[in-house]
Amino acid sequence: MLGLEIKHLSVRFSGLSAPALAIENLSIAAGSRVAVTGASGSGKSTFVNIITGLERVREGCISWNSEDIAGFSESRRDRFRAANIGLVMQEFHLFPGLSAVENVLLPARLAHAATSAIIARAHDLLDVVGLNRAGQKIETMSRGEMQRVAIARALLRKPGVIVADEPTASLDAESGDAVGDLLLDLAVAEGSTLIVVSHDSRLVGRLDRRLTFRSGCIIDDSAIKGAAA
Amino acid sequence: MIRFILADLRRLWAGSIVVVLLVALATALGVSVILQERALRLGSARAADKFDLVIGAGGSETQLVLSSVFLQPSALPLMSGDVLAKLAADPRVEWVAPVGFGDSFSGYPIVGTTRTLTETISGGFSEGQVFVSEGEAVIGSNVDLAIGGEIKPMHGTIETGGHTHTELAYHVTGRLQPTGTAWDRAILVPIQAVWHIHGLEAAEERDHDDHAAEAGDHEESVHAEGAHEDADHDAEPDPHAGLNENWTAETPGLPAILVKPKTIADAYKLRQDYRNGATIAVFPGEVLTNLYATLGDAKQILVAVASGAQVLVAASLILVTVIHIGQRRRQIGALRAFGAPRGAIFGIVWLEFFILVAVGVGLGFTLGYGAALILSGFFSQSSGVNLPVGFAREDGMLAVILLAFAAGLAALPAVLAYRQSPAQALRV
Repeated sequence: MLGLEIKHLSVRFSGLSAPALAIENLSIAAGSRVAVTGASGSGKSTFVNIITGLERVREGCISWNSEDIAGFSESRRDRFRAANIGLVMQEFHLFPGLSAVENVLLPARLAHAATSAIIARAHDLLDVVGLNRAGQKIETMSRGEMQRVAIARALLRKPGVIVADEPTASLDAESGDAVGDLLLDLAVAEGSTLIVVSHDSRLVGRLDRRLTFRSGCIIDDSAIKGAAA
Repeated sequence: MIRFILADLRRLWAGSIVVVLLVALATALGVSVILQERALRLGSARAADKFDLVIGAGGSETQLVLSSVFLQPSALPLMSGDVLAKLAADPRVEWVAPVGFGDSFSGYPIVGTTRTLTETISGGFSEGQVFVSEGEAVIGSNVDLAIGGEIKPMHGTIETGGHTHTELAYHVTGRLQPTGTAWDRAILVPIQAVWHIHGLEAAEERDHDDHAAEAGDHEESVHAEGAHEDADHDAEPDPHAGLNENWTAETPGLPAILVKPKTIADAYKLRQDYRNGATIAVFPGEVLTNLYATLGDAKQILVAVASGAQVLVAASLILVTVIHIGQRRRQIGALRAFGAPRGAIFGIVWLEFFILVAVGVGLGFTLGYGAALILSGFFSQSSGVNLPVGFAREDGMLAVILLAFAAGLAALPAVLAYRQSPAQALRV
C-alpha cells in the first residue's frame, strides 16, 4: 500500500507562461480512495503522468512512501511503475492478436517478471473480473470485457496504488458501473491505494475524497459524504 | 515477446509482405548475378578441362578455344597436315587428335575427329560403340537421335544458309556418356569422312600443295588395306571405307589439333614449340582466364547495379519504418506505461524489422538460386555447356554482410522507439 506526498511541484511546458500543474502540498494516505475531477485541460492528465512517473519532474518532490520518484532516471521510473503502479486508461491499450491472458501478462513478460506464480495470478484475476475464457482473442471482446482485462492487467503485480484515468468514459452506463465496482472492490481486496480521474459522478460519488483541478491547481479538496465505507 | 512480435506482424501482414518482397527481390538480383557469373566461369572452365593443349593455325587464340572447346561455328584458318604427323610421332605426346568442323545436322555441330578422342572424351559410351568406318557416327549424350539413326550432314548451319551434303550419310553407332560440355551436343564422325565429303570444295579453297596432299592421301590409304580402293577415285566417299588414323605429312589441312601431353612439363614445352608463326598453341584454361578478366569488368558493373538496387530498397525501408514507428507511437507508449522496460521496446521493434529483412534475405537467396538455375538451364540447352549453379563460402559472407547491414538498419526505428517519451506518445 502506497501513500503519496507531493511538495512544491511545478510542471511547465515550453511556450506556456502559466504552469500546467502547480501543487504546493498534497498528501494522499495509503489505502485511501481519491477521485480527481476537473474540466479538460485543467491538469488532470498531467497529474496522472507525474504521479505515475510517465513524465519527468523538474521542480518539486513526488514521494511514494517517501521514495522520491522525481529524482529517478527514466529507466528507474519505468521499473518503479511496473512494480508499484497499476494503470487503467480510458482507451484500454490492449493488443489485438493476443488472448486475454496474454494481454494481462504482456508487460510482465516484457519485463521478465512473469514467474509461474504471476501466470497463475493472471488466470485468477481474469476469474475475479468475471472472464472465464482466458484464451479468447482480445479483438472479439466487448468494450466492457476489454476494460476488465485491462483491470486484471493493472492488478497483476499487486501494485501499491491503482491509477485509473477515465476508466468508465468509453463504456455504457451498465458496463461503467460494473467496472467501477470492480475497481473499488479490488482496491480494497488487494489493499491498494486508488486514484481515479473521472467525470463520472456516480463513480466519483463512491470514493472517499475528491480533488478538483482548475488551470493546473487544486481548487477544492473535500471528503465525500456518504461514500461507501 | 516472440508471440507479441508474431501477433504484431500478423496484424500488419500486408506491409510485412511488401517489405519481405522488396528485400527478397533486391537480394535475388544480386545473388543471381553472382551465381550466374560463377556458374559461367566454372562451367566453361570444366568444359575446357578436358582439353590440355589446343594447336591451330595462326590467328585468334580466343576463337580457336571457342571453336574447339565450345564448338562455336566459325571459319578457322587451316594449318598444314604435317603438324599432325609431327605431333603424332612426338614422344612427349600421349595422344593427338585432329578436329574438323563446319558441318551440322539439325542444329548439332558435326565434329570430325579420331577414334582415340571419341573414346577418351567422355570416358565411355552409354550405349553402342565407336565408329569403325567412314559412314558411322557417335553422338553426344544430349543429341536427340537413336542408335542406327541417319545423319545427313549440312554444310554450315541452317542459319547461315548451308546446303546438305549428298555425298555421304552417317549412321549412329554409339552414344557418349555426358561430359557437361558443348561436346554433349556434338555428332562425332571420322575426320577422314569430313575430308572426303569436302574433298572437292576444299581443293578449290586450299592451295595446290594441299590439294596434292589430299590426293596423295587417297593414294596412300590404299596400302592401308581393305576395301579402300573405292574411296580412291575422285573424292566419292564410301560409308564402308575403313579408317586410317596413321597421320603422315600428306594429311590434309586442319583447323585445330587437340593434344594430350604426357606430363605438365611436356605440355609447356609443346606449347613453346608450336608457338611459331605458322601455328599457335594454347592452354584453353589460360585463354578463358584472360577472357574472364574482361568479363570480370562486366560483372563488376552488374554487381554495382544490383548493389544500387539494394541501397534504394534500404532507403525506402528506412522511410517505411520511420513512418511506421510514428504510427505506432501510442502502442509503444502504452507498453511503456504498463511497465515494459525500454530495452524490451527496443528489442521488439528491432526484432520485428530484423525478422522481416532476414526472411527477405533468405527468400532472396532462394529466388536468386532459382533464377540462376533457370538461366543456366537455358544456356545449357542452347550450348550444351553445363553451368553448375552453387553457393560458395563467400556467399555466406554476403549473407552475413546483408544481415549485419539489416541489423544496423533495424536499430534506427528501434532507437526512435526507445527514445520516445511514453507520456507524449499517449497524448497524441
